[in-house]
Amino acid sequence: MEFEWTEPDAQFRKDLQDFLGENLPASWEQIAHHGPGADQTADFSRSFCAKLAERGWLTQSWPAEYGGEDASPWRHAIVSEEMWQRGEPRGSQYMNVNWIGPTIMEYGSEEQKRDHLSRISRGDVLWCQGFSEPEAGSDLASLRTRAWREGDDYVVDGTKIWTSYVNGAEYCFLLVRTDPESKGGRGITVLLAPMDAPGIVVREIPAVIGERYFHELFFDRARIPAHCRLGAEGEGWGVVRYALAYERVGAARYARAARTLDSLAAHAREQGLFDDSAVQEKLGAALTLVEAARILTYRVIDLRARGSAPTADTNLARIAGTLCENAVSDLAVELLGTEALAYGHAAEAYFRMAMTAGVAVGTTEMNLDLVAGRQLGLPRS
Amino acid sequence: MDFELDADQRAIVEAVDALLVRHAGARRAAELAQSGGYDHALDDALEASGFAQVARGEETGLLEAVLITEAIARSAGVVSAGAALIVAPALCAEPLPGPIALAERGDARPLRFAAQARSLLLAEGDEARWIAIEDGSAEPVDNRFALPMGRWRSALPEGQPLGAGSGERMRAHWRLALAAELLGYMEAALDLTVGYLKERHQFGRPIGSFQAVQHRLALCSVLVEGTRWLSYEAAAKGADPQACTTAAAHAADSARQLFRETHQLSGAMGFTREHDLHVWSMRLPLLRVELGGASQHRRSLARERWGGAPKPGGGT
Repeated sequence: MEFEWTEPDAQFRKDLQDFLGENLPASWEQIAHHGPGADQTADFSRSFCAKLAERGWLTQSWPAEYGGEDASPWRHAIVSEEMWQRGEPRGSQYMNVNWIGPTIMEYGSEEQKRDHLSRISRGDVLWCQGFSEPEAGSDLASLRTRAWREGDDYVVDGTKIWTSYVNGAEYCFLLVRTDPESKGGRGITVLLAPMDAPGIVVREIPAVIGERYFHELFFDRARIPAHCRLGAEGEGWGVVRYALAYERVGAARYARAARTLDSLAAHAREQGLFDDSAVQEKLGAALTLVEAARILTYRVIDLRARGSAPTADTNLARIAGTLCENAVSDLAVELLGTEALAYGHAAEAYFRMAMTAGVAVGTTEMNLDLVAGRQLGLPRS
Repeated sequence: MDFELDADQRAIVEAVDALLVRHAGARRAAELAQSGGYDHALDDALEASGFAQVARGEETGLLEAVLITEAIARSAGVVSAGAALIVAPALCAEPLPGPIALAERGDARPLRFAAQARSLLLAEGDEARWIAIEDGSAEPVDNRFALPMGRWRSALPEGQPLGAGSGERMRAHWRLALAAELLGYMEAALDLTVGYLKERHQFGRPIGSFQAVQHRLALCSVLVEGTRWLSYEAAAKGADPQACTTAAAHAADSARQLFRETHQLSGAMGFTREHDLHVWSMRLPLLRVELGGASQHRRSLARERWGGAPKPGGGT
């Protein structure tokens, strides 16, 4: 067992911190405040990710044959921590690197790999994710969006909902049902759908958690070229499971929670509150949950580093991450009072981002179900 | 970073588990809980096989001591394992006469193993002391919390000071020992409860198939696994004070919840002496309040992280 960073990894973190110091402008905090889905954030991510790519750091965890450096999952974790601490300047492109790219590597045709992976690794393409539907949320496998072949195209008909990062997105990682008789996971197919295909209409769903955070995507007999299919027809559920295993710990939410907690402690000190034992106790309680989320996430990275198949450790880490975000954002409001609720305050942006933790990328309840089944071996309810 | 035990560590855990199958276990713990006794035979077996001195070994150290302490707790051993395997070696070059009790100066409340102890390690400000305890120094305190407790009859001798800085070192290792023991108890209590709820049927199905029950058990699992890795990390970092305090704070609060949930979900059977749950679960309230409990661990943690000059935001 070893719980220290290697010297090269520690040096890399320092270099990355220096890079961020140089390349995040003073205006970044204000840009980030609009949320990860906002136009400003999407625009910023293009120039920022291009710089990150120039340094070879955008996709360094990818295999060399796809332009990466085969960097260990630990390097990937360092990038994730440093980015999330600063409000994720990669915008939606963290998805491209974390799971869309790796899933295309696993299932994509040579042509798809050539087209998509090179653009992702240059940092000049935006993706969105077409998973949830009005009648298929946590029960994703019940999705109904239909697709059928007509000549060289799939014709897609249906509605996707809760889609983030749509503005500027050129592609959608889209799940459709190609076998109308099928139920559940069978008969699902993945399409790497160009968003400029005729028949796709986007509508924003205004939400309190951020600008342009949620959208509905209407597919009205949209025509998607058949060569956009990822993997075999009807075999998309396996692709989704592969993608989700990568996605679930993709974001180092605990790192942003830790930074927020540091600033809360500093605030408490400035206000003369830090010597209050009740304040210390609350800060310590929140820090304990942050540390638990960190170490459980590291366990998942450790398993990935040794090539293990996904386990319930991923779900444990997600649940712990939500507990940590809830604790820190509750404490922020308690310590700062209504100041933390004024739009434009850093704690306010954190609070709204943190409130999605238990819902985004699979709800806490789904994660608890999976722990009960996989980790504890309890019978299906 | 590497979260796997190496071959030697796995062999040590297997060997101590094999010893514990013969010398410990729930039934033996249940008998000792009822009589208020201490398992001197288990102490002797651990000493004879070399496990008791593993922290002082040339090839082994604190992490192995934590793994063995956890295993002893998982087997419900009624011995002062954390004090002997984790705390004492950090303070004294030579083994102390056991059993060993741990206390803070000025705390007159009932104390784990006081009536059996032959050594007391006492934290007093910046310094720790070793006090040799004579037979009859403490009277047993009757309790239903599955471990013997006692209370000093009169003032204790001054004992030997263990040097500047030994106080902080003792508290850090004590917190690590608490985390390791609570981890073992929580693992065993949760395993037993999960097994019971897979077997126990009501309304024509296993109780463990109800989602309302499953989610609570799954959350317990999150707490246990968090305690596990925070404890191992603290051990691997040589009992770094902040890491030890984090592990103890997490363990103590998790123990509060594990105690409530394992009993609630086991129903009336969980309160009986015939069901094994009590030999682990009833120790949780006892250990989780030691050294000030979660409140004190959390305050210490806040001071350890932010107490000095304000730190710039950095990695966790």
